[in-house]
Amino acid sequence: MDSFPILSVITYLPLLGALIIFFLPRATPDQTRQIALWTAIATFAASLIMLAGFDINQAGMQWTEHMEWLPGVGINYDMGVDGVSVLLVVLTTLLSLIAVIASFDPIQRRVREYYIAILLLEVGMIGVFLALDLFLFYIFFELTLIPMALLIGVWGSANRVYASVKFFLYTLAGSLLMLVAIVATYQAYYEQTGVRTLNVLQLAEGNYGHNFQMWVFAAFFIAFAIKIPMWPFHTWLPDAHVEAPTAGSVLLAGVLLKMGGYGLIRFNLSLYPDASRDWAPVIIVLSVIAIIYGALVALVQPDLKKLIAYSSVSHMGFVTLGIFAFNMQGMMGAMLVMVSHGLVTGALFLCVGVVYERAHTRLISAFGGLATRMPVYASIFGVFMLASIGLPGLSGFVGEFLAILGAFREYRWAGVISMAVVVLSAWYMMLMFQRVVFGRAPGEPPDPHDGALLSSVQPDEPDKHGFHGVPTVSGGSGMSMAGEENLESEHVPRVHDEPEFPEDLEHGADARAGHVPVWPDLTAKELVTLVPLLILTVVMGVYPSPFMDIMRSTLELVLQPFGSVGV
Amino acid sequence: MESLFEKVNPDLTLLTPHLIVLGLALLLLLADVIIPRAKHVALTWLTLVGFGAALVANFFFIEENRSTFNGMFRADDFAVFINLIVLTGAILSVLVSSSYLQKLESPGSMPLAEYYVLLSFSVLGTMIVGSSGDLIMVFLGIEMSSLAVYALTGFARNRLTSLEGALKYFLLGLFASAILLYGMAWVYGATGTTNLDGIQAALSGPQTEGALEASLLLALLLLVVGLGFKIAAVPFHMWTPDAYQGAPTPVSAYMSVIPKVAGFAAMIRILVQGLSPLREEWVVILGILAVITMAFGNIVAISQRDVKRMLAYSSIGHTGYALAGLAAFGVVTAADDRSVSSVLFYLFGYAFMNIGAFAVIVWLQHRGHGVDLEDFNGLGARSPMAALAMTIFMLSLMGIPPLVGFYAKYYVILATVEAGMLWLAVAIVLASAVSAFFYLRVVAAMYFAEPTASQTPGRTPMLGFGVLTMALATVFLGIFSSRVLDLAQNWVNAFQTTI
Repeated sequence: MDSFPILSVITYLPLLGALIIFFLPRATPDQTRQIALWTAIATFAASLIMLAGFDINQAGMQWTEHMEWLPGVGINYDMGVDGVSVLLVVLTTLLSLIAVIASFDPIQRRVREYYIAILLLEVGMIGVFLALDLFLFYIFFELTLIPMALLIGVWGSANRVYASVKFFLYTLAGSLLMLVAIVATYQAYYEQTGVRTLNVLQLAEGNYGHNFQMWVFAAFFIAFAIKIPMWPFHTWLPDAHVEAPTAGSVLLAGVLLKMGGYGLIRFNLSLYPDASRDWAPVIIVLSVIAIIYGALVALVQPDLKKLIAYSSVSHMGFVTLGIFAFNMQGMMGAMLVMVSHGLVTGALFLCVGVVYERAHTRLISAFGGLATRMPVYASIFGVFMLASIGLPGLSGFVGEFLAILGAFREYRWAGVISMAVVVLSAWYMMLMFQRVVFGRAPGEPPDPHDGALLSSVQPDEPDKHGFHGVPTVSGGSGMSMAGEENLESEHVPRVHDEPEFPEDLEHGADARAGHVPVWPDLTAKELVTLVPLLILTVVMGVYPSPFMDIMRSTLELVLQPFGSVGV
Repeated sequence: MESLFEKVNPDLTLLTPHLIVLGLALLLLLADVIIPRAKHVALTWLTLVGFGAALVANFFFIEENRSTFNGMFRADDFAVFINLIVLTGAILSVLVSSSYLQKLESPGSMPLAEYYVLLSFSVLGTMIVGSSGDLIMVFLGIEMSSLAVYALTGFARNRLTSLEGALKYFLLGLFASAILLYGMAWVYGATGTTNLDGIQAALSGPQTEGALEASLLLALLLLVVGLGFKIAAVPFHMWTPDAYQGAPTPVSAYMSVIPKVAGFAAMIRILVQGLSPLREEWVVILGILAVITMAFGNIVAISQRDVKRMLAYSSIGHTGYALAGLAAFGVVTAADDRSVSSVLFYLFGYAFMNIGAFAVIVWLQHRGHGVDLEDFNGLGARSPMAALAMTIFMLSLMGIPPLVGFYAKYYVILATVEAGMLWLAVAIVLASAVSAFFYLRVVAAMYFAEPTASQTPGRTPMLGFGVLTMALATVFLGIFSSRVLDLAQNWVNAFQTTI
C-alpha cells in the first residue's frame, strides 16, 4: 500500500518526542512532562486511527510499508500489521500513555532523561510488533533493552543496579543466539531459492530441513522464553519488577513480556512449523510447570510487586500453553490472555504504585484496612484483583478459559492441571487482598465488634492480624489457609528486619504509638490512569467478541500449517 | 604488454593520497623549525587539512584498480578502502590529540610538531601496506607504520609507564617483524617471487608434493605469527595491555586502530591475494585463532578496573571478531564473498567507536579525572552529554543495535554463516554476551553510581567536536551502511584471484 505510512508514524512519533525533549535541555520538568504527555497522546491517537482502518476480514498484513534499506544483504524496511499484532500495538500505546501519566508525581529526579527513556522504550516496543523484516525486528527487540535497563537502574529502588544488569544480560544473552538463527535462516532460504531476504512472510515459504528447524527453533524459543519469561528462564523478572519504578513495571509486565508470546506466534510457528510440532510437548510441560511454579511462589511472597511478578510467570504460562495446543481456542486464548494480562497486571502494578507512593514500602504486612481509609482505591484494586484471578465477567477469564480449553483438547492432563492452578491463583491474590485491604493495619487497635477473635490475637504479632481479622474471604481456599499461615509466619518476620525500608520502620513507630497514618484516597491523576484500564477490563470480560473477531482470520492463517482449526 | 616507457616511468598520479601525506609529514618537519613553538597550534589545522586532502584525493581512485611500479604499488578498491579507514582514523586521532598534548602530562614535554610528524609517517606506512602488491612493500609499510607508533607510545617521556609500554611494544614488535620477514623469505624461496600475484600464480600451477608443501606451511605459520603480533591476536597479544595503558591516551586511541588496520591489510594482501591457493590451511588457523582471541580478550577484560587496560583487552576481543570474518574467506563464489568486506567494514566502524571511547577518557582526564572505573562514577549526572557519548560507544562496542558495532558484527556473522562456519558465528555471539558484562559496567558506573570525585571545569572545543562526530557516526553509520558496504564489497574486483 502506498498510502500514508501510518505504522511508521506510530513507531517514530515517540522518537520525535524524545528528540524534542533532548534538544530542549532548558525546559522545566513540567514542560518536559507536557511534551511527553502530548507525544504519548498523539501516538495513541495514531494507533487508534490504524485500528479504525483495520479490516478484520483480511488475514494477511495490512498497512504494509516497504523500502529498500541494505539490499546487498537482503535487509529491507518492511512494516505491517495483522490480527496478531494490532491489539498489542494499541495496548502498547495505551500503556505507554498511562505510564507517562503515572510518572508525573513519583518521578521528580532527572525528569528529562526519564521521559526520553520511556519514549525510546515505546519506539522499541511498537517496532517489535510492526516489523516484518527479521533484521528490523531484532533492532527493535534490542532497542527495548537499554531504556528499560536505565529505567530500572536509575529510577528504581534499593537493589536496582543488580536488577538492571541482570535484566540486561539475561535478555541480551538470549537474543544473541536468536541473531545467529536469523542469519542461518536467511542463508538457508538463500541456498534454496537464490533470493536474499529477511522478510518473515517470504522466509515462511521456505522448506527447511528437520534438524535445522529443530535447533533454529530452539534459538528463537530461548530468546522469547526469557522475555515471556518461562520457567526456568524467569529469574530476572522478580528482581526487575521489584526494583523498577511503577511505570517501568507497568510497561515491563504489560508489553515487554508480550513480545515473547508475540515472537513465538509470528516467528517460531510460521517459520518452523515442523519443529514447532515436535517441540510442543516439551513446551507444554514447561508451561504447566510455569503455571504451577509461578502460583506457588506467589503464595509466599511478602512483597506486593514480587507477588504480582510471580503471578505473571503463572499467567504467561497460559500463553505458551494456548499457543502450543495448536488449535483455535488455545491460540485465541493465548492472545486474549496477553491483552488481558497487559491491562490487568499493568493496572495491578499501578495499584501497588499508588500505595507505595504513600507508604514507601511494598511489604504486604505493612498494610491493612485500606478499605476504610481509601475506599475508592480498594474497590478498583479489588476489580483488578478479581480480573487477575479470572473471575467470569472480567477480562482474565475469557483468555484463560480458552487457553485451558485448547490445551484440554490436545493434552488432557495439561488442561486439568492448569485448571486446578486457577484455584491457587485465587488463593494468593485473595490472601494478599485481604491482608492489604481488609485486615488490620499494624498498630491499628482491634475491632471491638470482633470479640470472638480478639482473644486469640497476640498484640505483638501484628503480621497475623490480617489473617485473623477477616475469617473467610474465599470459601474454597479456607481449608488450606492454615497451611498458608505457617508459611507466612516463618516468612514475614525475616522481611520485617530488612533495613532497606526505613519508612517501614517509621511505620513501625507509628504502630507502637497506636495510630495509623492517614493516606489520601486516589488522586485525579491516579484515577485517570486506572479508570481506562478498568473500563477495558470489564468490556473485555463482558463482551469479548470484538477482540476475538479482530484476530480470528489471522489466527486461522497462523494455524493453517497445523491442520486443526476449531471454534 | 607494457612498453618500456611505462616500465621506467611509473604513474605517479596513482600515489596522490600517499604523496599528500608524505608532503604533510615533510611540511610539518619544516614547520617545526620555522614556526615558533608558541604558534604550533596552527600545525593541528595543517595536519587536519593534509589528512582531509588525502582523504578527498582517495575518492578519485574508486573502481580504478590500476597498478604501477611493476605491480609493486596498487591503487585498487581494497587500497581505497584501507586508505579511507586509515585517514578517517587519523583525522579522529588528531581531534583527540591536540588538547591533550598541550595541556596534560607535564605541559610542554610533548611537542606538537614531532607528534604530528610521527603520526603522519605511521599513517603513510599503513596506507602503503594497503596499496602494496609485493611482499617487500608490505614489509616496508608495516615497519614504517610500527616504528612511528613505538615512538609515539613513549611520547610521555617523563612517565615511566609510558616508556615501559613503549619498550615492550618495541621489543616484541621487532621480534614479530623478524618472524614476518623470515616467513616472507620462505615464501620467496618456495615460489621465486615476491610479487603477490606472482606468488599466487606460482602456487596455482602444478604442485610438487612433499618439500614445497612443508616449506610453504612453515612460511604460512611464520607469517601468521608475525602478523598476529601486529593485530594483537592471542597468544601474540602480550604487549597490548601495557602499551595501551602506558601510552598517552590519544596514542592509545590511535594505536588501537591504525596499526591494527595495517596488520589486517597486510594479512589480507598476503593471505588472500598471495596465498589464496593455500586457503584451506590458513582459514583453519585463522578460525581457531579468532575463537581463542575473542574468548581471551573478552574474558580477561572483565577483571580490569583501569578503563584503558579494559579497552586494550576489548580491542583484543575485536581483533578476534574481525579475524573470524577473514576466516570465512573463499567458500562461496568470489562475487558473493563477504569475508574481506566484512573485515573492512568492521575496522571502519571500529575506528569510530573505539577512538570515541578513548576520546571520552581524554575528555575526563582534562577535567581532573584518572582512568579508573571509579572516575566514571556519576558522570551521567555531572556531564550528561559526555556520559551519553560514552554510552553510545560502549553499547556499540558491545554490538547493540542500531549502532555501528552491531552492523559490523552482523556482517561478520553473515560472512561466517554464508561460509558455513556456524561455530564461528556462535562463538562471536557468545563472546559478545560476555563482553556486555564489562562494557555495561562503565555504563552502570556512569548512571547508577554516585559521584566520588569532584570535577574541574575544562574547555576542549576540538575534542568535544571530535566526540560529537564519532558519536553521530556511531549512531548513523550502521543505519546508512549500504553505500559503505558496497564500497567494501568492491574488494572482489581488486584482487584478480582465482579460487
